[in-house]
Amino acid sequence: MTITSPLPSVDVLRRNNVAVSGVPDARPIVFAHGFGCSQEMWRAVAPRFESDHRVVLFDAVGAGHSDLASYDPVKYDSLHGYAADVLELLEALELRDVVFVGHSVAAMVGVLAATRDPSRFGALVLVGPSPRYLADAEADYEGGFEQADIEGMLDALDANYMGWSEAMAPMIMGNGERPELALELTESFCSVDPEIARHFARVTFLSDNRRDLSAVSTPTLVLQCSDDVIAPTNVGRYVHQQVSGSRFVELSATGHCPNLSAPDELTGEIRAFLR
Amino acid sequence: MTLYSTPFGSEKDHTDHTDGTFETLFEDAPCGYITTTPDGIITRANRTLARWTGLDQRALVGIAFVDLLTPSTQLFYETRYAVVLNLAGEVREVTLAVQCADDTELPIIVNAVTFAGPDGQPGGIRTAIFDATERQDYERQLLAARRAAEASADRVRVLQDASSAFGIVTSAQELAEALVESVGPALLASSAAVLLSGGPEPLEMVTDDETIRELLGSGIRDLAEQAIGSGEVVTVSSLAQAAAVMPGLDEAMHAQRLASLSIAPLRTDERTAGAIVCAFGRDRTFDDDTREILAALSRQAGQVLRRVRLQEELEHRALHDQLTGLANRKLLQERLDAAIATATRSERPVSVVFVDLDGFKAINDNLGHRVGDEVLVEVAERLRRVARAGDPVARYGGDEFVIVCEGADETAGEVIAERIREEVGRPLDSIPPRYAVAASIGVVAWKPAGAQLPSADLLLRLADEAMYVAKRGGRDRVSVTRF
Repeated sequence: MTITSPLPSVDVLRRNNVAVSGVPDARPIVFAHGFGCSQEMWRAVAPRFESDHRVVLFDAVGAGHSDLASYDPVKYDSLHGYAADVLELLEALELRDVVFVGHSVAAMVGVLAATRDPSRFGALVLVGPSPRYLADAEADYEGGFEQADIEGMLDALDANYMGWSEAMAPMIMGNGERPELALELTESFCSVDPEIARHFARVTFLSDNRRDLSAVSTPTLVLQCSDDVIAPTNVGRYVHQQVSGSRFVELSATGHCPNLSAPDELTGEIRAFLR
Repeated sequence: MTLYSTPFGSEKDHTDHTDGTFETLFEDAPCGYITTTPDGIITRANRTLARWTGLDQRALVGIAFVDLLTPSTQLFYETRYAVVLNLAGEVREVTLAVQCADDTELPIIVNAVTFAGPDGQPGGIRTAIFDATERQDYERQLLAARRAAEASADRVRVLQDASSAFGIVTSAQELAEALVESVGPALLASSAAVLLSGGPEPLEMVTDDETIRELLGSGIRDLAEQAIGSGEVVTVSSLAQAAAVMPGLDEAMHAQRLASLSIAPLRTDERTAGAIVCAFGRDRTFDDDTREILAALSRQAGQVLRRVRLQEELEHRALHDQLTGLANRKLLQERLDAAIATATRSERPVSVVFVDLDGFKAINDNLGHRVGDEVLVEVAERLRRVARAGDPVARYGGDEFVIVCEGADETAGEVIAERIREEVGRPLDSIPPRYAVAASIGVVAWKPAGAQLPSADLLLRLADEAMYVAKRGGRDRVSVTRF
C-alpha cells in the first residue's frame, strides 16, 4: 500500500516540530512521546544515541510546538491519524531501517504505523505499551481501568485545565482575553492544548488495538516497568505474547515513565536489543 | 528571634509559648504533607493526611503516592503530573483525588516541589495536600454546566449548518452529499455515506466513499435495512460487537481500519428509503447527545428528501407520458434539439424513427380503452427494450412513437426500424389472438453537411411522411428517407 503525503515534506517537519540530530548517515532512531507531554519527555534519553544514530524527535499534533492549526478532529479521532503522521514523517526524512521507540500510547501508534507500512521499520521498542486500558471481562482481559475511571480522568483533565487556562492564566498574564497565550507561560514544560489534550485522552484511553498486535512483523522489544499503574505487567506480557518473536524485558524502574526516572536503564536495554 | 534560631524541641520554654513544636507544626498542619523519594515512594507523611484518609500513618511510609490516588487521577498523575514535576521541578494547584480507607474519595489540590540530595542528584519530592471537597463540588457543577452548554451549542451549530446546506439542494444526490458533509465532522466519523432506494429496489450507495463501499457486502447493507425497518439508529460500538451482530463484519471493518459504526434511517415515506452510515476508527459509545444529533440530522434530511423527491417526480411528470412512462413530446423536442446540435459538432448522422401502430383503432373500438391502454403499455415496453441504450423513446401521440438514434445513418436506422417492426408484430399478451397490431415505420436519416441545419420539427415531419409512405405501401413495413 502506498501512503500518499498530502503535504510537502517541509510542512510535515514543521507540523510535527521535527528535530533531527546525531550522525546524518547512521541508523535512524525515532522517539515518540505519549499522552500528556511532548518530545521533552525524551530529553534524558535521546542525547545518548546521538553519537552513533541519526536521532529524530517530534511533537504529536496538539503537543509541544507542533502546528496546532493542523489539528483535524476527524483525522485525530483515532490512533490511525497519528500513525499516518509518523509514516509521513519517515517518508519526508526518507528514513529506512528505523528504530521506532514509542512511549505509552505512542507505542501503539508505532504498531499501527509499522503494520501499515513495515518497509521503513527495522525495530520497534514499545515502552509501557497498552493496546487497551479498559478491562474486557468477556475476553478475560485486565486492562487496569473501568469505563468510569476513564470518564473520571477526563473530569480530572477538565478540572486541571480549567485551573490553568481560566484561573491562573489571566492572573499571570493580566490579560483575560487571551488565555491561550498564558497557557504557554504556565506550561513551559510539556505544553499541550487543553481542548486537544481532552480529545487525545479520549482517543488514547478508549482505543482498542489488541487485534493489531499480531500483524507486527518488525523485530520488537517490549519494555515493562515495575509497578506501572497505567500499563500493568500483565498488559505488557499480553503485548509480548501477541507480537510474535518479541522480546520482553522488565525494568527495575517503577512508574510509567522510565524515560524520565531511569534513563540509564532504558538506554541500556534499547542498546542491548539493537546490538 | 530566638524562636527561629533554636532547634525545635530543645528548649521547653519556647515551645510552651508557641502553637507547639516544629514537629506538631508538621504533624498537625492544616494540610496533608508528605515527602517521597524521586520515584514517589512516601518517606514521611504527617498526621493530618493519615486522619483525612483514615490510613495508618506508619503504613503510609513505603508505599507510592500514586497508589493512594483514585484510578481516574492515577491516569492524570502518571501521564501529566509526574512528568511536569520531573521536568519543571514543581507543580502547583493540581486537582487529584485520594482513595480513603473507607473507600470514599477525598478530592485534593496538590502543590509539590522536587529537591536535590547532598550529592546534587534528585533527593526527593515534598508535597502539600489540601482538602478540596468544596472546591471540587463547585468545579464539578461548573464543568457540568459548561459541558451541557457546549454540547447544546454544538448541536445547534451542526443543525443550523445542515439546515442551510440542505435548503439549497435540488436533488436527492445533492442532499446525500450535503448530509455526508454535515454528519462526518459533527460525529468525527472517518467515513460517511448515504444509501438510498426508491421503493422496492435494494439500497444503493449514492455518495462516494471507498471504505464504506468495501463494507457494503459484509453486512452494512443488511444493517441499514434493519435500521430502516425499525426506524431506529443501529450502532456497532466495537469489533467484538460487530462479530456478534454479523459474522465476518469485524474482520472486514478491521481491514478498513475501522472499529465502530452508526447507521441512522432517513425518515421519508413509503416510496423512498435511505440511511446515513458513519464509520469510526476507534471504539465508540453512542451517548444520548450523539444519538440526538444523528436523529435530528436524519429527520431533517428525511424531510428534505421528501421535498426533492416530489420535485423530481413533478419534473419527471412534466416530461414523461403518464401511461407508458416514455418521454413526452416536450422531452422529445429537447432531446432531438440536443441530438441535432451534437451531430452538427461531431458531423455524425442522426436518424429519427417514427412508429405508427396498425390495427390499434379496431382494438380500441371493439375491446375498449382499457385494453387499448394495456396494448400501448406493452408496446412501449417492447420499444424501450429493443431501442439502443440511451436512445430516447417517446410517445408522440395516441398510437405514435418516436425514437431518436444518434450516430445512426440510413442503413443503421433501417436495421433499428426493422428490429422494432418485428418486435411490435409479435403476438401481444393483452389482446386475444384474433386481434393483432403491426407497425408502419418511417425513418429519416440526416447527415450534417454544410450550413443547412434542420429543425426538430422538420425531421419529425419528414419521418412522419416516410411513415405514411410505409402505411400506403401496405402497412407493417419500413420506409426510409434521407435528408
